[in-house]
This record gives sequence, structure tokens and C-alpha cells, in this order.
Amino acid sequence: MALLSMALGIGIVAYLFWEGGPFIWNQGTQFLLGLDWFPGEDYGAAPMIFGSAAVTLMALIFSTPLALASAIYTAEFLDPRRRLTVKAIMEILAGVPGIVYGLLGVSLLSVWVRDVFNLLDGYTLFSASILLAIMILPTIMTLSEDAINSTPAEHRQAASGLGLTKLEILFSVALPHAAPGIAGAILLAIGRAMGETIAVMLVIGGLDRIPEPWFDVFSSGQSIASKLGREAAETLGSGEHWSALMALALILFFLVIFLTAFGNWLIKGFRK
Amino acid sequence: MTRVQKEKIFSGALAFLTLCACSILAFILFAVFSRGFAALSWEFISSEARDFGAKGGILYQIFGTLLLMFASTTICLPIALGTALYQTEYLKSSFWKKAFKIFMASLNGMPTIVLGLAGYLFFGKFLGIGVSWLTGALILAAMIIPTAHAAILEAIETLPEHYQETGISLGLKPNQRIIAVVIPHSVYGIITGTLLGLARAGGETAAIMFTATAFSGVTLPKSITEPVATLQTHILVLAQEATNPIALANAWGSASVLLGIVFFLILGAKSIRNRLTWELER
Repeated sequence: MALLSMALGIGIVAYLFWEGGPFIWNQGTQFLLGLDWFPGEDYGAAPMIFGSAAVTLMALIFSTPLALASAIYTAEFLDPRRRLTVKAIMEILAGVPGIVYGLLGVSLLSVWVRDVFNLLDGYTLFSASILLAIMILPTIMTLSEDAINSTPAEHRQAASGLGLTKLEILFSVALPHAAPGIAGAILLAIGRAMGETIAVMLVIGGLDRIPEPWFDVFSSGQSIASKLGREAAETLGSGEHWSALMALALILFFLVIFLTAFGNWLIKGFRK
Repeated sequence: MTRVQKEKIFSGALAFLTLCACSILAFILFAVFSRGFAALSWEFISSEARDFGAKGGILYQIFGTLLLMFASTTICLPIALGTALYQTEYLKSSFWKKAFKIFMASLNGMPTIVLGLAGYLFFGKFLGIGVSWLTGALILAAMIIPTAHAAILEAIETLPEHYQETGISLGLKPNQRIIAVVIPHSVYGIITGTLLGLARAGGETAAIMFTATAFSGVTLPKSITEPVATLQTHILVLAQEATNPIALANAWGSASVLLGIVFFLILGAKSIRNRLTWELER
């Protein structure tokens, strides 16, 4: 059984390499830096890579302050019973299916974004990043809370013996101790945000270009995952278009695996 | 400003932000259920979809979601349990233990759309099952292995040391120990893992949307190689017709049912896990 599960994973990776590897190898920079994606002619991945990066970065900016604030409050200021309640809420929030976020995004959020910012339509990079921010909030919050909460009791006692207030203990003892764990949590959240398909696909707009100017987040875009979700069904299984999509999947896979592995390493490393 | 005042202001601000974070869940629940209840009725749940989901109910969608959930969990459970047992009871080398941990973490972090694509190619094309609920169940099984595995592993690893030692002192071989000691005492972990796996499989859309489902004209599958309709893909299609109010109402209704199923499973898993920790502390 153990071998079976191992073989499954390795098989999938090998397959991605087999399909996507040669394409990246042959097209090289033309694929990675190309700006146009017309199936049959050009395959340029830059807009998708840009979209993924922009959406993820914005989601982090929205999500991290809120997640860290609640992690700190839950770990440092709440009594154990309330703490478990907050963590349970976060766990349930993490379980909300992506498609439900997608539906909320399509019928509420994108309308709000359109009206508030006076746009032609609400399917923008900005809307996608707000949805993602909510989706990665529980990941960052739960894991950073674990990190802060695991500060050894002796360190806290020593600090309060010096007459420090809870706030001072937080900044001088607990946060420095938890820093690697928090960094790990954020990396895992980035990985999750990059791989999220369905909710992003519904609100990002699906336009394969880098906005003009590039920082205009209120225009439509495309992320790697949403590109895969939109086009994979058209060309399931073979042809150049498929190879190009698999090459995208391979890029996504490497980004996510690298982030997850590094994040887990930070979290594990600090637990010891 | 004194230090104590500073702390009061700071903790007040944090409390407010925490409340904001928690109220997101309340907002989501309210937004979905308040709109969903308008569409929900016995007729909606018990009749089939008509006019591409704009009219009628979601009977077969519910069936498809449940079928995929249970099939994938049935496939996943022996693999996850076997991996966890092998890892804790037989495996000695710390290199391989580490390798398994890294592997499970990577599988857990793998984007589900990539898993869906690769899984379709392997199960659907290479093994020739095609777009069918079996392909979907196999892909979902691969996706939820880490979830179930983590819950089972936690239960086995928190097993009190002396249980194992008693088993060893009675001269039990590893396989006898697994049957007599490990499995009976980690059964809560196995149940929690199963429920969380079910919940995750039920909430997944990207991995199954072009590998296991068809949108219209699907009733009960007659064989293992036919696609099914699911709640997730039903919502997906209806959400893209956001201008049609009846279709949207049906989408909210389907979302309420889906959310209800998933929350029921997560809460079940949580209450069982709480009971487990309570028993351990006793």
C-alpha cells in the first residue's frame, strides 16, 4: 500500500515531465516570456505567470495582517476554550468548497467590485485576489497560531518574571520564536493560492494578457491554474496545445512543490 | 501612555480583527443559506434537473456527489491506512520515513487541477476508463490520501507507548500487534480521517470537472465507465449564467446542500477528535 501511494505520486510527476518537459525544452524562452497565446500559433506563458504572481501577492497583502492579528490574539489573549472555538471556526472556513467561493465571487463580489470602483465589469485580478485572500486566511491563521502557541512556557515565565507585559512578551519572546513557523505558514498559503483553480477561474475574467499598465489590477487577467481549468477540456489528451498546457502545469507544479516543501521544512525545523 | 494602557489598546484592536476574521464564516453561511433556502424544497431535492439546470431539481447531482465521495474514500482508506501502518510499524530507516513525510506533504500541496489532468491521462486514457465516475473517484482518492493519512498517523503516533510495549512483551509479531493493539485504539483517528477525506472529496471541483462529470442528460450511471452529474459542476455551470435569476437561485440551492454535506462531515470529524483527546487525557 505504501509503495502504491508512492508509485502513484511518482507516476504523476513522471507523466507531467513526459508531456510538458519537451515543450519547455524546445520553445524555451519563447514560451516563458511570450506574450501571446493563440492555440495553433503562439504559446506564451508570461501573462499567466504574471497573473498568478499578481493575484497571489495581492491576496497575501490582504490576508496576512488579518490572519496574523487573529493568530496573535487567539494564542496570547484568549482562554483555552475560546481559543478552541476560534480554531474550529477557522477549520470550518478552510472546508468551504472552492466552488461556493466561486459562486459568491460571481454573484456578489464581482458586482460589488464593479459598483464600488465604477468598472465596466467586476471580473478582475482584484476580485480574484480578494477571494483568494479569504481562502488562504485559515491556512495562515491556524499554522501561525500553532507556531506562536508553541513558545516554551519557561521562556514566557522568564519574561513575565522580568515584569514584562503580555504585549512585550509577545514582541520580545513569542514572535521571534514563532517567526520561522509563520514564514512557513505564509509559504504554504502562497502554494495554496497558486494552485486554486475553480474560484479564481470564475472571477478573474480569463483574458490572456498582462494589463496596461502592468499595475492596473482592475482589469481582467488569467492565472496558470485558471488557464488550465478553462482550456484543458477543449484539447484533452493530445496535440501541441495540450503539450503547452502541460508545460504550464509543470511550471505550476514546480512552483507549488517548492513552496510547500520549503514551508513545511520551516515549520518542522522550528518544532524541534 | 503607560505600558498597560498600550497593551489594552493593542489587544482591543487585535480582538476586533479576530472578530472580523471569524465573521467571514458567518457572512458566508448567511449569504449562501439565506439565498439557498428560497430554492430549497422537497421537490428541488427529489426531482431531476430540466432545461439545463434552470428548472427542476438536483436529485442526480446529489447522488453523483455522494457516489464520488464514497467511492473515492473507499479506495483511499486502505491505501492511507496501509501507508500509515507501514510507516509506523515496519519501517526502520529514518531516511525512508522522512521521504514518506515529504512525499505526503507534496501530494497534499499539489494543485488539484494538475492532479486532475495527470490523473485523467493515466486512469482515463492509459487505462482506458475514459470520462467516468470511476476515473473521478480514483483521482479524488489520490487527492484525499494525505488528508486521511495525516489523521490516521496522528492517532497512531499519540498511542501511549506502554500499549505497544505490552504487545511486544506478550511476544506479538508486528502484524498481530496491528490487529490487536494499533487498529482498535486508533479507530477514532481512522474515522476522523475518513470523514475529513469525504468532506474534501465532496468540496472538490477542479479535479473532476472534465474527468468524471457531464452536465445534462445524466441520470443514474449504468456502468462504472459512465460520467455522473455532481453538485459542484452543477453550481459551476449555473454560476456562469449569472444573469438568469432562476438558474442563480438553483445554484444557491445546490450550494446550500453541498455546504450542508461538507460542514456536517467536518463537524462530525471534529467532535470525534475532541472525544479522542478527552479519552487520552482521562
